[in-house]
Order: sequence, then C-alpha cells, then structure tokens
Amino acid sequence: MLANVNATRMELLRLKRRLDLAKRGHKLLKDKQDELMRQLRNMIDEVKDSRLTIEREFQSILRNFIMAKAKMGPGQTEEALYMPTKKISVTVEEKNLMSVKVPVYKREVEGNIIPYGYLNTSGSMDQALISFDKFLEQLLNLAEKEKTVQLLADEIQETRRRVNALEYKLIPEFEKNIKYISMKLEENEMANTVRLMKLKDIVRSH
Amino acid sequence: MKTKIAAIGEHDIMLIFKAIGAEVFPVADYRQAAPKIKEASKQGFGIIFITETIAAELDETIRSYESEFLPSIVVIPGLGKSNKYATKKLRQAIIKAMGIDIMPEK
Repeated sequence: MLANVNATRMELLRLKRRLDLAKRGHKLLKDKQDELMRQLRNMIDEVKDSRLTIEREFQSILRNFIMAKAKMGPGQTEEALYMPTKKISVTVEEKNLMSVKVPVYKREVEGNIIPYGYLNTSGSMDQALISFDKFLEQLLNLAEKEKTVQLLADEIQETRRRVNALEYKLIPEFEKNIKYISMKLEENEMANTVRLMKLKDIVRSH
Repeated sequence: MKTKIAAIGEHDIMLIFKAIGAEVFPVADYRQAAPKIKEASKQGFGIIFITETIAAELDETIRSYESEFLPSIVVIPGLGKSNKYATKKLRQAIIKAMGIDIMPEK
C-alpha cells in the first residue's frame, strides 16, 4: 500500500479523517463485543442446567409413556391418540438483544390434553400425558434459550472478526501511511528551505 | 407471528408429541429424516423437535439452520442412554464465540 500513497496534504487530511473514523468504529465494536460476551456468559449456565434437567425429566416421562403404551397395547394406544383434541400454536416475537434478533416463544393452547374416553385406556397413560403437557412449557423455554445462544455466538464471531480487522490491519496501516506522508512532507519542506538559503547566498555574493 | 411445532423421530416417541397437538414426522432412520427437516422448515414450522439419535447423524443439516432466526431445532433425548449431542452443540457455540472452552464439566 505504501507505494500507492500520494504524499500530499490532501491525502494526509483524508487519511487522518479515516483513521479517526476507524478508531471510533473500533471502540464501538469492541464495546458491542464485550456486551455480547457478557450476555452469552450469563446464559450459558442457565441453558446448561435447564438442558440437563429437561433431559432427565423427559426420559422419565417417556419411560412412563412407553410403559403405559405397553400396558394398553400399541394398537389401542394409536387409536386413542389418533385424533388429538389439543391444538397448539406458538407465537414468535422478535426480541432485540444488542442488535441480534432473538425469538421469544409464547404458546397458545386449546383443548384438552387427553383426547380419549377413559374407558379403554389406562390411568398411567393419562398421567404420562398430563406430565408431558406441563413439561412442554420448559421445552419451549429451552428452545428459545438454545436458539439465543446460537445466534449470539454467531454474532460474536462476526463482531470479533471485524474488531480484529480494524485493530490489526486497518488502523496500523493508516498510521503507517500517515507517518510516511508527514515525513515526506517535512523532507520537502526542508529541501525547500535549504534551496532558498542557497539561493540567498548566491544572490548576496554578487 | 404464528408458528407451529413439528417433531421428527422414532415412532414411539412421536405418539406423545402427537397428543399435545404437534405435527409429527415419524421416521425409521436418519436417512429419511433429512428431507423431513427441510420439508418442515419450508412449511413454516417454527420449532422442530428431533430425537438425539437422529440429530447426531444429521449434524450438517442442523448446523445449516443454526444461524437462521427460524426454525429452532431442539434436540430431545430418546430412549436409552443419552449421547450428549445437545451439550456438545452448546460447547461448540461457546468455542465459536469465545475462542476457548469455558463450559465447566459436570
């Protein structure tokens, strides 16, 4: 880049302005990165804990469900659950977290979790379904958190790349060029002065 | 914005998701599951539950949805021993963000 630099005052001014801008941008991005990191760090433990409890709970629910299914027989179970009366829909809202858009899920439910009559089904099936219904809230919460962590991680990576590009490439390059130009200009100035002095000497000796 | 819930996985586990009103895609193995994920995300399912055993084989597909706002793919444990796929994903995200692994082993 050094070869392409015009050693003029115009260029010097332009570079100084760009350096200021780059420094300001660097500071802002650095702040953003720090804040994102903080957010992520707060979430990690939470996500991990809820992930572990959910895995434990879900397995026990699933085990109960499978047991209930075995008691009732597979055909009967499928028949009982064939037409679910419960309708679930989720509304997604965008939350802005340091310019990262993260989802917030809110569930809306209609109908009863138990879609069958009590006559042909076992009580443990009812229990399994009811506990799963309660459990779903946690599951949605986890979905939201895990997504947030992924999106935050992506954003942090991108921000870090920008910060590093500014810090280690752009800013040093500007500084180097500014130094080069100001030295060149000083040199010209000096050459000019010397020339004038020399000229004066010649004029005086006549 | 409204969205729906889908679940992809083994037949037995899908029944319980069906009961709560989610759309289910029962699959026998992961080769059938990959197109199902694409289909579900195209149809506008915002949350896709997928069982661990299948998810572990479809890492690439799941990864491609990671940086999207929707859908959110949630790994649920299947029957039997957990293969820690979800915690592994979390760890990867942290390494990506921080450059180092700061998640404590538990």
